[in-house]
Amino acid sequence: MPATSSLDLDRDPRSIIGTREFDAPRELVFSAWTDPKHLAQWWGPNGFTTTTYSFDFRPGGTWRFVMHGPDGRDYQNLITFEEIVPPERIVYRHGGTDDVEPAQFRQTVIFEDLGGRTRLIWRGDFPSAAERDRVIKEYGADKGLAQTMARLADYVAAQA
Amino acid sequence: MVKLSLDSTFAALSDPTRRAILARLALGETSVTELAKPCAMSLPAVSKHLKVLERAGLIARGREAQWRPCRIEPRALKDIDDWLAHYRRFFDESFDRLDAYLQKLQAKGRTQERTQERTQERTQERNNRGSKRKDRKHARNKQPRS
Repeated sequence: MPATSSLDLDRDPRSIIGTREFDAPRELVFSAWTDPKHLAQWWGPNGFTTTTYSFDFRPGGTWRFVMHGPDGRDYQNLITFEEIVPPERIVYRHGGTDDVEPAQFRQTVIFEDLGGRTRLIWRGDFPSAAERDRVIKEYGADKGLAQTMARLADYVAAQA
Repeated sequence: MVKLSLDSTFAALSDPTRRAILARLALGETSVTELAKPCAMSLPAVSKHLKVLERAGLIARGREAQWRPCRIEPRALKDIDDWLAHYRRFFDESFDRLDAYLQKLQAKGRTQERTQERTQERTQERNNRGSKRKDRKHARNKQPRS
């Protein structure tokens, strides 16, 4: 099946926007992000394998893992989840360790329901002072965190 | 020495005036006065932008001449280029793998459904056979004895 995929650098000078369509329902595509067992099956470029140390899939939670490169090198990784809206959106911060990812960047993953198919939008924001300040303000403050937790609580209640 | 970091490089590039300055410098080294001409900006304002670019390691300024020519530093741009290549590879190849994994999960789901359906069918058949036998037995019992 031909994959519909593109990576756009021009739409917004501060972002890289990638879109990709999957021939699978949205819930399934989203669930592939929610469990390290699933993530180990596909995360990383060809030849990479992933070992997870800890995985805490909730706003403010982290995913610590190592990517084993085809060249035999290990790349330490840290992802901090900032926002999780199943099955629509995941926002996380990636990087911070000097050896592999010196830049801290913010990644937004949006899952669009196309009726049995799913469009995934992958937006990476370049770090800038203003952006960093916004993140600190929004997620460092108790209020921002409480709102995020309330949204998650609403979701859990809706599932019950 | 200026410590190069992608954070400051990206921050420096997030401004359109600074990108315009870099585009001009890609043509060759020049003076602050020359750079200020198309920007419709004061010299101090341009100097401020140049300082940001210099701190990010994107440009260097000559000390040899009085007019301190500005020129592009390829190293920071190379770092960005490497990072983008890594990012693109992650996007393309991870999502190829995710695509294949989703197909596998769905195929497995379908097989499980089929197995379930078959099991149900077999149970149904057994039940039918059972009730038929019962019917036959019942019918036999109902037959008048001769």
